[in-house]
Amino acid sequence: MTGREYAWKRRPGWWLRNRRYLMFQLREAGGVVCALYGLVLLNMLIQLRAGESAYTAFLNLLRTPPVLYLNIVLFALVVWHALTWFMLIGKAQPIQFTRQPLPWKVVFGINVLLWLGVSGAVVYLIFGGI
Amino acid sequence: MAASDVLFRVKRYRPESGGRPTFQDYRIPYRNDMVVLDGLNYIKDHLDPTLTFRWSCRMGICGSCGADVNGQPRLTCGTYVRDVRKGAVTVEPLSNFPILKDLVVDFDDFLRKLASVTPYIVRKDWGDLRKEYVQYPEDVEAYRQQSLCINCMLCYAACPVFGSSPEFVGPAASALALRYNRDTRDEGADARLAQLNTKMGVWECTFVGECSVVCPKDVDPAAAIQTLKFLATMRHMRRLLMPGSSSR
Amino acid sequence: MERTSFDIVVVGGGAAGLRAAIAAAESDPELTIALVSKVYPMRSHTVSAEGGTAAVLRDYDSFELHALDTIKGSDFLADQDAVEFFVARCPEEIIRLEHWGCPWSRDEDGRVSQRAFGGMSVKRTVYAADKVGFHILHTLFQTSMKYDHIHRFDEYFVTSLIVDGGACTGVVAMNLRGGTMVAIQGKATILATGGCGRVYEFTTNGFIKTGDGMALAYRAGVPLKDMEMVQFHPTCLPGTGILITEAARGEGGYLVNKDGERYMQRYLPGKMELGPRDILSRAMIQEMKAGRAFEGPYGLYMGLDLRHLGAKKINERIPMVRELVEKYMGLDPIHELIPVRPGQHYIMGGVSTNGKGETTLPGLYAVGETACVSINGANRLGSNSLSECLVFGAACGLAAAAFAKKKASYPRGTAAREALKKEEARVFDGLLSRERATETVSGLRVEMQQLMERDVGIFREESALADACGMLGKMRDRFAAVGLADKDRVFNTELTAVLELDFMLDIASAIAHSARNRRESRGAHSRTDFPQRDDANYLKHTLAFRTDGPPRIDYMPVTITKWQPVERKY
Repeated sequence: MTGREYAWKRRPGWWLRNRRYLMFQLREAGGVVCALYGLVLLNMLIQLRAGESAYTAFLNLLRTPPVLYLNIVLFALVVWHALTWFMLIGKAQPIQFTRQPLPWKVVFGINVLLWLGVSGAVVYLIFGGI
Repeated sequence: MAASDVLFRVKRYRPESGGRPTFQDYRIPYRNDMVVLDGLNYIKDHLDPTLTFRWSCRMGICGSCGADVNGQPRLTCGTYVRDVRKGAVTVEPLSNFPILKDLVVDFDDFLRKLASVTPYIVRKDWGDLRKEYVQYPEDVEAYRQQSLCINCMLCYAACPVFGSSPEFVGPAASALALRYNRDTRDEGADARLAQLNTKMGVWECTFVGECSVVCPKDVDPAAAIQTLKFLATMRHMRRLLMPGSSSR
Repeated sequence: MERTSFDIVVVGGGAAGLRAAIAAAESDPELTIALVSKVYPMRSHTVSAEGGTAAVLRDYDSFELHALDTIKGSDFLADQDAVEFFVARCPEEIIRLEHWGCPWSRDEDGRVSQRAFGGMSVKRTVYAADKVGFHILHTLFQTSMKYDHIHRFDEYFVTSLIVDGGACTGVVAMNLRGGTMVAIQGKATILATGGCGRVYEFTTNGFIKTGDGMALAYRAGVPLKDMEMVQFHPTCLPGTGILITEAARGEGGYLVNKDGERYMQRYLPGKMELGPRDILSRAMIQEMKAGRAFEGPYGLYMGLDLRHLGAKKINERIPMVRELVEKYMGLDPIHELIPVRPGQHYIMGGVSTNGKGETTLPGLYAVGETACVSINGANRLGSNSLSECLVFGAACGLAAAAFAKKKASYPRGTAAREALKKEEARVFDGLLSRERATETVSGLRVEMQQLMERDVGIFREESALADACGMLGKMRDRFAAVGLADKDRVFNTELTAVLELDFMLDIASAIAHSARNRRESRGAHSRTDFPQRDDANYLKHTLAFRTDGPPRIDYMPVTITKWQPVERKY
């Protein structure tokens, strides 16, 4: 006379139900993209080592429209991935000078500024000269 | 549909009949200040006494009445119908849990996980039972937020990781582990971190963050888990680099 | 095969039940203890208590004073030996709970804080913001997980006691999730199922407070003591009945009528808003009758003014008050008045016990709101109830443990098997098979609640009480026709509602008859036809015994030690 429990089943497309789940999936996808980017950079080094013509051919490939558009999309995912990590820092390791730890938004802001600063310095080094 | 009516679409499941859960529609009178729980009680008292759901305090402190309302895990006693009544109010049992009957789910698994994080003060020497341990207001504030968990399970229903990995210790149990770790009177932080520093402990979490969004008490379990990851890692490094040192 | 025979069976998983189980578990690791509850323990109604829990902790206070406040608050109906026992043990319970991790609010020096409360002459109410019940319950529940020999039976609804050879040897319970009945035997049984507020229409109590333990003892021949003593809390939100803690007044809140006047100066100029609850509730009703109340969609109400306390104090000391008022009334107490009106909150009466929780049935104990020792007499002071659960929970747990240890063998199985068969027949073959017709469980329940609200409320008089007694008798007959639509055995909450209504009809009848027979006014029991306190005839406890008809009313003396009854003036 006892009943049966009904095992819960996950609905396909669960992550489309809710904006935050979608952002999460994109962020996770961004991790894969970061790895791919690493491979691209690695390949760039390999082409560089292979000689000037190989390297130039590789750079030309990077300049073609499809690859350019692809890179823009992948760059956006990488930036999103980085931003979500910055949002995490304030919660994972609270920095505390007073009674309450620094709000995560403040920590996020500081990290973004530092990131922009470092990125700016790198760009200057590469394009502006030392 | 009259403005004075509202349509409730409730997921039903009869364990003794078997089969699959199905929706059943009920049209009930609408009041501006009614909550979803009021609707469920109206259905049970006047339309369909077989509708089964848990509730008790009706003030958001006992944690009994969790359900998926229009796809979001919510406390039915704290969800105003006026906020969710576009078309119909859909009420289903909390996601990620086995369904016992209608809106009643089985969460014994959570109680096992709660027990597994040693949710009580651990001390070697209990000291003088005639005097309280000194604890300053800022010490209480350090763990106050995590101590507010009412065990309502909305965070588990919101967590897609728990949905695919049922062994995952989960948000609420982790938050309570942190509550005790941060309590200055406790000495059991080391053992709890060891327990949580496992795949199905905090490391299964990928910081979706939905648990903290749905928590009705602002416990912020997502932050608690990330903090535990950090603390567990620090403990691990300390043990590797400085064996024999105590943690705290 | 799940164990079904224990040294101690505790029914109810709130503060009192958990404290008793822990006390027994700590006293002897060999003892086996069953904790049987119709809900998971953290859902118990203890969780909703807000204000605080009283104890003598500082030099400006004394046991003498706490006892005097309590006895005077009880309008001298409390048993003074029990009160003396009680006040002396509150401090160690607070400390023990603190050691177990309870997050008491602290002073700047790190010591446990105390605040003012109604009827207390000094600040002795220990608090945890305004979620004291929540923190106490979760601390106790989580601490109980330390003990392997506490076996929990979650969502088991106890339907009757097992009585064998003139002693209680356990309970018969319905496993809600399995849909079966089981006999859980115990050398000692402790009832800790809380109060019975749901016999009233407007109550702070949760849905589960249906007086189950009281009815179980009542049906086994144990008398219910002082059932007419029902406490109405002055500050409940209109409509929902949600409690706004006395701590709001303890922290300095005012009660005002529609003219903005602090009307308590007309009734209790000495203590104003910090008077005892019975006086405040009556004052509110009188203001309403005099036409000085606000009017709203849920009737008349008064205003609770916290605006002068400031945001900082409100957010630190009574944050949940703000949350509740914002959520359920859409108002911000920092800037607006809180609408409040009196509602049923607590029952001083209950299963008659002595100071160790023992009832007249050997092997049966009762503790907490379920029991009446009595330390609360005719009116309970706020913040004494949680302390009572802790002190007597511990005392009862130890007493039951001692009793169980003296019994060499477990109860014989035959009585349990018979009781189980009888209950299966009564519940599954009897109640469950009845068809739902004109008489419904929800319809009859609402009628009973409205009747109690109208005739056995704050102000009572003979004809209304007589009417109530008669109607309740008729409702008992009508109950026989209540049928069910849900025929399943698994998690049948219509069936549990029927069982609870069955219990509540007994309890309501005990309350009404006890009230009718007390022809005086004392504490919370206020009779417009007998407005004076009558020590000559009624300085005694009412006892209600169950019969097939109306309850048999008897009396027993109050124990007086040091404090001779005087006029209760504040």
